[in-house]
Amino acid sequence: MSDKNPKILSFLCNWCSYGAADLAGVSRMEYPSNIRVIRIPCTGRMSPKFILAALRQGADAVWVSG
Amino acid sequence: MKNLLEHMGIEPERLHFSWISSAESTKFVDVATKVTEAAKSLENKEKKFVKTKPKVA
Amino acid sequence: MKSYTDNIKEISKRLLKEDKVDMVIGYRTGSVPLMHQPFFAQNQEEVDEFVWDSNCGLNLANYITDRTERIGILATGCNSRNIAVHIVEGKIKREQLYIIGIPCKGMVDRHKLSAMADGDITSVEDENNGSITITGQNFSKTVDKAEVLQENCSVCVHRNPVIYDELAAEEVTEQKRDDVDPYARVKEIEALSPEEKWAHFDDLLSDCIRCYACRNACPLCYCPLCFVDESNPQWVGKSIDHTDVRTFHFLRAYHCAGRCTDCGACVRSCPVGINVRDFTKKLEKDCLELFDWEAGLNTEQRPPLDTYRPDDPEEFIK
Repeated sequence: MSDKNPKILSFLCNWCSYGAADLAGVSRMEYPSNIRVIRIPCTGRMSPKFILAALRQGADAVWVSG
Repeated sequence: MKNLLEHMGIEPERLHFSWISSAESTKFVDVATKVTEAAKSLENKEKKFVKTKPKVA
Repeated sequence: MKSYTDNIKEISKRLLKEDKVDMVIGYRTGSVPLMHQPFFAQNQEEVDEFVWDSNCGLNLANYITDRTERIGILATGCNSRNIAVHIVEGKIKREQLYIIGIPCKGMVDRHKLSAMADGDITSVEDENNGSITITGQNFSKTVDKAEVLQENCSVCVHRNPVIYDELAAEEVTEQKRDDVDPYARVKEIEALSPEEKWAHFDDLLSDCIRCYACRNACPLCYCPLCFVDESNPQWVGKSIDHTDVRTFHFLRAYHCAGRCTDCGACVRSCPVGINVRDFTKKLEKDCLELFDWEAGLNTEQRPPLDTYRPDDPEEFIK
């Protein structure tokens, strides 16, 4: 697969980064469209399994943000 | 986690952690751009850890 | 080491006689040479089956998980640290245990010995002067014990038990980190490029048959349902596909982060001789460097990955 458009899976905390992403959208800011967001209730919900599962299923990169 | 992935040969550009408050939309855009750039820098490298064979129960 | 065995028998008999414990966990001669089997002695007669030499590589802490009896248990340096980890994690109570501490002189590597032998080994004689004699059908060979020690034993810096109620022998001199570098091998791998690392682990794991012997031998792997057996969602496939094998070893190692005492049970139990410690040793090194932590040195402190300290390293967070 051509990686010109890498798939980046991001795990965003509902209360922090997801809010920031929302605000960025509301403020009509531009950011790369390679990011696919999964909202998690809290970064504490994160597990190493998720990262491995993402990589296994073909994500180019994983971004965890609290 | 990141250390062990790197130890195993996954490029460090493939995993990112950050801390962004819900009011920091500028930081979000900033980090999102950086993460994308990092991922793009790997475009010529083969992806690893991808499961290609079908699942077996 | 006959005196070790005699002392162990004597202490065990006394404990059972005075009804201090319901059983004593030790080793007896197994059906195959080089591998003594764990043995639960429940009365004084059974104690006579106990042995102690350089083939007691299994980690006995594996057998005390969630037990309710009063248990006497033999413990070398690494075993005692695993017992401490069990106590911290609430898998056994300290009051239940009577720990017979054994200052350890290291265990022999059965893979190394088998490689040296010209055929199948049928018996092993552990002489007290630091040499090992292996005998088979048409051969007999005496080797220096230091040469055939398990790799983790040769770089061990905690040979004496950290918690015990009674010692079965005089304490042995500890090796110092300055003299033996426990992390030499980890550093070698760290120096490689991502591609070389990937290739190294591909090669390392190419023989893995996913028998889970490493998991079963590991005293830390006591989860009622292991992630490899979870089916909804299925985190890892059951095939010997490279990705699956790697996922299994990676996650298993990660689950042991900050808890592994480098007892070498995983390597020893591996039927195809994979050095599983290439994974776990790296995490052990990281824990020491990042959190100044070594697993199982006391029974109060929680391991670094389930505690928060304001000064935890955070360089990796943007």
